Amino acid sequence: MMALLPEVKAQREQLTPASSVRTVSFMEARPESTTANAPAFQVKNLSMWYGSKQAIKDVTIDVPSKTVTSIIGPSGCGKSTFLRCLNRMHELVPRTRVEGEVLFEGKNLYGAHVDPAMVRRRIGMVFQKSNPFPTMSIADNVLVGLKLNGLRDRRLLNERLEKSLRMAALWNEVKDGLRKPGISLSGGQQQRLCIARAIAVEPEVVLMDEPASALDPIATMKIEELIAQLKANYTIVIVTHNMQQASRCSDYTAFFYMGELVEFANTAKIFSNPTRRQTEDYITGRFG
Amino acid sequence: MENGRHILGTFDDALGSLRNNVLTMATLTERSLNNAMDGLVGRDDDLCTRAIADDAEINELEKQIDKDGIDVLLRFQPVASDLRRVISAIKLNSNLERVADQAVSIGRRARKLNAHPPLLEVELVEPMHHHASSMLRDSVNAYMREDAALAREIKPRDKLLDEMNSAAGRTLTQRMAEDPEQLRGYLNLMFIARCLERVGDHATNIAEDAVYAVAAEDIRHLHR
Repeated sequence: MMALLPEVKAQREQLTPASSVRTVSFMEARPESTTANAPAFQVKNLSMWYGSKQAIKDVTIDVPSKTVTSIIGPSGCGKSTFLRCLNRMHELVPRTRVEGEVLFEGKNLYGAHVDPAMVRRRIGMVFQKSNPFPTMSIADNVLVGLKLNGLRDRRLLNERLEKSLRMAALWNEVKDGLRKPGISLSGGQQQRLCIARAIAVEPEVVLMDEPASALDPIATMKIEELIAQLKANYTIVIVTHNMQQASRCSDYTAFFYMGELVEFANTAKIFSNPTRRQTEDYITGRFG
Repeated sequence: MENGRHILGTFDDALGSLRNNVLTMATLTERSLNNAMDGLVGRDDDLCTRAIADDAEINELEKQIDKDGIDVLLRFQPVASDLRRVISAIKLNSNLERVADQAVSIGRRARKLNAHPPLLEVELVEPMHHHASSMLRDSVNAYMREDAALAREIKPRDKLLDEMNSAAGRTLTQRMAEDPEQLRGYLNLMFIARCLERVGDHATNIAEDAVYAVAAEDIRHLHR
């Protein structure tokens, strides 16, 4: 089992209730909360504004850990904004404001003294368009986060490189060309490289914002298969416009409309017999 | 349909066409059943033959509806109520085809009966026909109108049909003992009663599928 990096441990403690801090390995440190169905996130009355425009309206939702939760809804409904609120990524946009709480393993991500950088390390993100660093090799793309955090042990770096690429189902395709530029890969491979980069720093959650929307069907299936594999170890929240993808990939589905959470239930329920008429109209194509 | 129009007009067209074909299938099936029974009661072999001959058309329609249903699933990947409507249409289709098969069996038995002197006991199966036919009509209407309340009424009505079948069986058995020369005729009537009882079962299946389509509720195999 891999040792927990000292700087990761220190930062993790910052987000972890004092009573549960233990000097154990990373995997063991995965908390009690990662038992099946325990919530990874407890979002309480979350509202969010871009300037004066309210994008998220009083959303309350528990996101179960080690499951895949899809967020669906029409363009502009706030699903990507909501996703960004889960790791404070929205704060990169000026004049944003949040009210309410996002509890991650019981601790408010928006509490005083919580470092957003640490939040984003524990709650990683993959974007719609693959964005490997263009000047970096495949290996450096994966390891950049670890190196920025001061990890220099070559053996450990190599271990982490292979592990991350294997988990991203990319190892067999790139193991003989790890020094090639990341951007030399195909679109689907680049997206899996970004997933490898996201999981290299060993987050507990991976947020995915339309991770396959720019990919062909085969590359999309590889990403979906990867999501299925990753949920054994990670909580995954995925924003998607592809409802078949949501129904295939996710255990739970949340439907957003105009900044509000309309319905949240297990995916089979949402796609076979949703409770709310708005959800039914949206998923059956009778919306608007 | 209760819902508004689909963004894809082609989906509404495809679903509408599927449902229209199911309605056509139901109409042909009911006509076949009536022809077979009218052929029995009126001792009209032509009607019996028509019921038997119409089965080919119904079989073709069954294949067409299955094909259309699969086509809708492939092209549009419907979900929620749309998915239930398509799945139910395919299942209705199968039940209707089996009702038509019962009509064929009745037609064949009726022709045999018509070749001999009339039996008064035909009166035993006439009310069964009316009951089964009304169950079938109501179950199909419940599906087409998306009327869950009407669909839920069908299942209890099947019990009465079962009782009528049992009663007819008892009477016909007794008549066989009393009048062994007509044994073959009574056996044919028992068989026809059994066919009508099966029509009631298929109507019940259709009603169950109608409830599933409308209310997303599986009421099959609930012994109440």
